[in-house]
Amino acid sequence: MVTVRNVSKSFPGVKALDDVSMTIKTGEVHGLVGENGAGKSTLIKILSGIYSDYDGEIFIDNSIIEFSSVHDAQRNGVATIFQELTTIPELTVAENMFLGREPMKFAGILDFDRMKEISLKTLSFLDADIDPSVIVGKLSIANQQIVEICKALVLNSKIIIMDEPTSSLTEHEIKGLFPLINRLQEKGITILYVSHKIDEIFEICDTISVFRDGKHVGTKDKNNTNSNEIISMMVGRSLDMLFPERESNKKNLVLSVKNISKEDEFENVSFDLYEGEILGFAGLIGAGRTEMAKAIFGASRIDSGQVELYEKSKHFNHPQQALSNGIAYLSEDRKGEGLMLNLSVRENISVSNLKKIAKRFFINKKYEKEIVNFYSNKFKIKMVHIDQIVESLSGGNQQKVIISRLLMTESRVFIFDEPTRGIDVGAKYEIYKIMDDLTQEGKGIIFISSELPEVLGISDRIMCMLEGKLIKIFNKDEANPEKVMRVLTGGEAT
Amino acid sequence: MKNVKQNNYASRFGRSLWEVKELPIILYVAVMIIVFSFVIPGFFSIKNFENISRQITTIGIVSLGMTLVILTGGIDLSVGAILSFAINIGGQGIILGWPMWIVYPFMLMLGFILGWINGFLTTRIAVPALIITLGTMNIYRGTIMVITKGKYITPIPTAYDFIGGGYIPFIIFAIVLVLFIFITLRTKFGRNLYAIGGGEVSSLYSGVPVRKYKMVVYIVSGILSALAGMILVGKSGFIQPQAGLNYDLNAIAAVVIGGTSIFGGSGSILGTFLGAILMGLILAGLTMLAINPYWQGLITGFLIIFAISIDSIRQMRR
Repeated sequence: MVTVRNVSKSFPGVKALDDVSMTIKTGEVHGLVGENGAGKSTLIKILSGIYSDYDGEIFIDNSIIEFSSVHDAQRNGVATIFQELTTIPELTVAENMFLGREPMKFAGILDFDRMKEISLKTLSFLDADIDPSVIVGKLSIANQQIVEICKALVLNSKIIIMDEPTSSLTEHEIKGLFPLINRLQEKGITILYVSHKIDEIFEICDTISVFRDGKHVGTKDKNNTNSNEIISMMVGRSLDMLFPERESNKKNLVLSVKNISKEDEFENVSFDLYEGEILGFAGLIGAGRTEMAKAIFGASRIDSGQVELYEKSKHFNHPQQALSNGIAYLSEDRKGEGLMLNLSVRENISVSNLKKIAKRFFINKKYEKEIVNFYSNKFKIKMVHIDQIVESLSGGNQQKVIISRLLMTESRVFIFDEPTRGIDVGAKYEIYKIMDDLTQEGKGIIFISSELPEVLGISDRIMCMLEGKLIKIFNKDEANPEKVMRVLTGGEAT
Repeated sequence: MKNVKQNNYASRFGRSLWEVKELPIILYVAVMIIVFSFVIPGFFSIKNFENISRQITTIGIVSLGMTLVILTGGIDLSVGAILSFAINIGGQGIILGWPMWIVYPFMLMLGFILGWINGFLTTRIAVPALIITLGTMNIYRGTIMVITKGKYITPIPTAYDFIGGGYIPFIIFAIVLVLFIFITLRTKFGRNLYAIGGGEVSSLYSGVPVRKYKMVVYIVSGILSALAGMILVGKSGFIQPQAGLNYDLNAIAAVVIGGTSIFGGSGSILGTFLGAILMGLILAGLTMLAINPYWQGLITGFLIIFAISIDSIRQMRR
């Protein structure tokens, strides 16, 4: 049993955890939910030994613990599987499992036989079909995660903390993770499961704790609550509506894509996008949606086919050309393809619009400040000041920074690729609202998402892609999750 | 009420002072000047400062170009080689009796071409600029030796001394300095260099012409190296094949000591200017103290480590 008693943790200007007390029972899968900045990651970091200075006490089975490092926590039976995996891609599965505590024979020679034996045993316990001698970098993310779990098992961990374990897994892989968690539970291991995804929490957890603004709002038994209650606990208000009420505002044809193909990525994709429309692209990871979007945006080449903007054929060789023709793209990879991480909020917002901000040759700093302030107020971007480094903002606020940048370009077509990935429920709603507002202004939106509920919740039409092909188009009123999922998984031929 | 407001201003001033990126380097320069002025009679004199400025002009000019390259997240190890190439190969024109108004543009043109090659290779081959320019550095240096067969070009017509004499080098340096400060702070091009260093793909998707601008910085770096070479010729009155040796590493040192991140995206031209001054101060101080000049390398090394530690502490505090 883990008992957290009156734990608080402050950072300059923020109280990240405020007098938190809670209990995690031995052998349960305990869900931890809350918006970004609610304090759940701070709590994980304390439990996993990253933060060692905090107020209050933590007990494991009635003895007080104070971890000085991640290693120390691991020695005491608490292992954490972080969102960013810590496996080393160049080493083998077995070497990764024993990293830092390799079994040795005399004179420090590695005992490869023992390593192989134990790793095989651990892998087979989890029913994982992975060869211990293969290089980890060659495994899928899901299998790398299994290696991390094995690492925790080799350590004889009693408590395993999983931080957003499904965030980079496909639907199919997620289905594979859950039995594995049940296996761990059968072995008597306690699991603290942190996730944004309410459905998942309900599927796998026994007990759910909700955090908000650094406080522990409450802990509920799964059987005595429902997702609406949990969500309203998270946001502090009732969110009957996860999506804004939308009225179709369909007007003129803006973008017309005709038979575009790119080898090994997508094939003969055709669709029309109208002003005021949200065109949802559903599909599994690897269905070719992102590749298609990047090709339309001019970030990669199209082998054949045409893109027409207002019935004029266009060919973009560079994103710059797409942007100046009124097509903006928000990447699914916020950190790698969206933000200039070590630059300020101001610079990140104005980068696409410097021409507008410049007077003759020189950038007008006063005007830049005004316009950046306008957007940050409009979208309520939480920050200290506009010259703050963008990396220090939360995921939702970072996303708003990129959206501000794109909106400032006054484009006609917006391609939003997984715009709500890794951000909390409240911020998600705000992003849907922004999309809705854009359509009211007559913009066309291509909305790519791997989360079926949101595609169905906000799109006017749903395009289903499978293995690079556009196989079915649903109108909003004829789509439901079961039907769409059947198409996406190849269960229904056109 | 009024007091509260003033306090606010005071703390805001304190904060903005802390946020001045060049703060550490300004402090080093101040400390060095104070220490040397107390220890060395005659250090705090106009004559000495004039000397120092004259000494730092060539490396300073090269460092300014290097700053642009490093801001984009690149690096140019071939600047010293380009410097030498421009004056040695361009200097063949002097041997052939070409007039100065052809030789000078020819030298700058060589700087342009070699910079273009660096830019072309870095933007077309998915290999870090460090490796590309390490390669081109050797190619450029090798070509010089093949063509000149290691021979000095001397004597040089006295007309060529003009650019290296009096205040001319410093005026050239000052013009480039002011121009670059404005470019980096106030123009779209300058801003986009920071953006590229902050995230190349992100910049691309934000509509920044990444490839074009990267080409430009390598070309500018090449041209400035050639220009520094021309000043060097004016100062020394001869051209040697080994010219510009260590210019690459010293320029990188000035940039880094000046607070520019080696990963790109943050830093300033002013910082590099101060970094170059600092290195000049140390060299002058040690020379006047009659300390073996080999100490200079040692101290520069400590400064680099120190500057980078301060930078990473500031990063953490943000």
